[in-house]
Amino acid sequence: MIEITDIEKIYRMGGETLTALNKVSLSIQEGEFTSIMGPSGSGKSTLMNILGLLDRFDSGQYFLNGTDVSSISDTERAHIRNKEIGFVFQSFNLMARMNVLENVMLPLVYGKVPRKERKERAVEALEKVGLGDRLNHLTNEISGGQKQRVAIARAIVNRPSVLMADEPTGNLDSKTTEDIMRIFQDLNDEGTTIVMVTHEPEMAEYTKRTIHFRDGALQKDEYLVPKRLSKTEVR
Amino acid sequence: MFFKENLKMALDSIFANKMRSFLTMLGIIIGIASVIAILAVGNGAASEITGTFSDLGATTISLSADDSEQSGDALSNEDLNVLKESIDEIRYISPDEQTQGTVSSDDESRQAIISYGTPDLQYVSQAMSSTLIEGRYFNQNDFDESADVVVIDEDTAEALFGRTDVVGENVKVTIAQTSLNLRVVGILEGRFGDMQGAFDTSELPVFLALPNSTLGNEIPQFSGMSSATVEVEETDQIEPVSDQMVRLLELRNNAVGDNIYTATNFLQALDQVNNVLGLFINFIAAVAGIALLVGGIGVMNIMLVSVTERTREIGTRKALGATTNTILAQFLMESVILSLIGGVIGLTLGILLSNIIAGALDIVPDITLGSVVLVLLFSTAVGVFFGIYPARKAARLDPIEALRYE
Repeated sequence: MIEITDIEKIYRMGGETLTALNKVSLSIQEGEFTSIMGPSGSGKSTLMNILGLLDRFDSGQYFLNGTDVSSISDTERAHIRNKEIGFVFQSFNLMARMNVLENVMLPLVYGKVPRKERKERAVEALEKVGLGDRLNHLTNEISGGQKQRVAIARAIVNRPSVLMADEPTGNLDSKTTEDIMRIFQDLNDEGTTIVMVTHEPEMAEYTKRTIHFRDGALQKDEYLVPKRLSKTEVR
Repeated sequence: MFFKENLKMALDSIFANKMRSFLTMLGIIIGIASVIAILAVGNGAASEITGTFSDLGATTISLSADDSEQSGDALSNEDLNVLKESIDEIRYISPDEQTQGTVSSDDESRQAIISYGTPDLQYVSQAMSSTLIEGRYFNQNDFDESADVVVIDEDTAEALFGRTDVVGENVKVTIAQTSLNLRVVGILEGRFGDMQGAFDTSELPVFLALPNSTLGNEIPQFSGMSSATVEVEETDQIEPVSDQMVRLLELRNNAVGDNIYTATNFLQALDQVNNVLGLFINFIAAVAGIALLVGGIGVMNIMLVSVTERTREIGTRKALGATTNTILAQFLMESVILSLIGGVIGLTLGILLSNIIAGALDIVPDITLGSVVLVLLFSTAVGVFFGIYPARKAARLDPIEALRYE
């Protein structure tokens, strides 16, 4: 599903150059739950941004679902982000003036999904993350854990091929962290491919596969038996 | 694209910062309100003036001859007669001139203002427009025969005879040492009747009218004239009739190309008034335009602030699939709505203001649908023009940079 070969990303700042990714090759299959681990500056976020089509790279090739997306236009990238990729950010990035339902419907607006269908699908996604009863709350009226669950609902509402989470539990306490990871495992059980960037080894324990990054290169790629959390209790 | 969503987002954003939005709109509100008020009051004043001029004579032509050689015959009764005979559109034609003299009976004498002209004088002269209360006006027959007849007003009758039923009496009219014995054929309503008793009217001049042929017969200097007033049926006949008259007079008097004869009308005077008024309106409108420009800059400024504040929001939207054009449309919509709301408030305020001003000036404000549409289009244009730069700035943000923005 995700297939990158010899991806190189170089930052130029004045006279200096910094190689963020040094000929990275990697493939991620459908249904995997992968964590990308590494210290800050290791290039893991850059890789994530490239995989999420938010950033461009200097050389190499990227196939997503069998399509070469290495050098497509900004507009095409926006369309693919909308249809194929769901993002979950560390700081939730919800729209402050919209209620929970509107936030979740936003990708469907950009995807030109008919108005009526938007609401049905958004409610469905929110029920999946256990927030079916918070539709009309504003985002500043709910807790951090609930905000991240709204963000996950928003990420999955367009049924993307892959869900990308960048330090999704970085701003959450350990109890809510478990809730979020449980939701991820549930979604993965249902077939959603998930790529998660984290610098905490405890988070990586919940995933099936862990890729270690260091100095812009792949250091270790291991498949382990994940620590399972019980099924989400809708609360 | 996404019109309804963008509209909702724009309104949300504008109402989320009510005070800020209002202050931003203020420039546009003031600009639009002044434009509307100026246009309404200006147009109201213009139609007021037009109306006044129309009452005065939108069908009146002033014909004049440049009598620099003092010959006194640049324009003659014969000329007027020929004009009236040959140009069908002419209803009335007469000199409309006055001279001073005295009028006396056997016992009394008064200063008089004496109008003279053709029988049409009664129709073209403002001075002679009083109602006839007894007898008749002098007619074509009197005119042709230079009959010794006169029409006097009630005041004259009262002053000279102490009564008003004086048709058939004789009066002596003295102009420039020449005296004429004239028979009274008609009495006009008195001008000063209302003022009788209020103050002594015995010093005021009285009014008389007689055929200019009679006058010209006795006193050679009145045999010709330097101007005449012409009435036509319709306003749009003024131009062709003016041209025809001048051409005919030039041919008759061997004066082609000498520029002796000119025909002017109230419409030309009206044009001049309107030009001055238009200049004035344009000047103030330009000042209001500057206010709008400043308002537009205010919109641009606040939109730039808004784009900076919402950098992360823009990054998130892009991550969720918003394209460059979508973001552009969203912010453009916001600036357009901002200035459009300002425009509508300004419009309301301007209508209010123009009613107040017009009320004070005692005119009817003229707010046309055209000016309303113009104002709305203009504020939309201000929104687009001053919103395009901030919107492009937002649309071109790099998603990574935007998401990282604190």
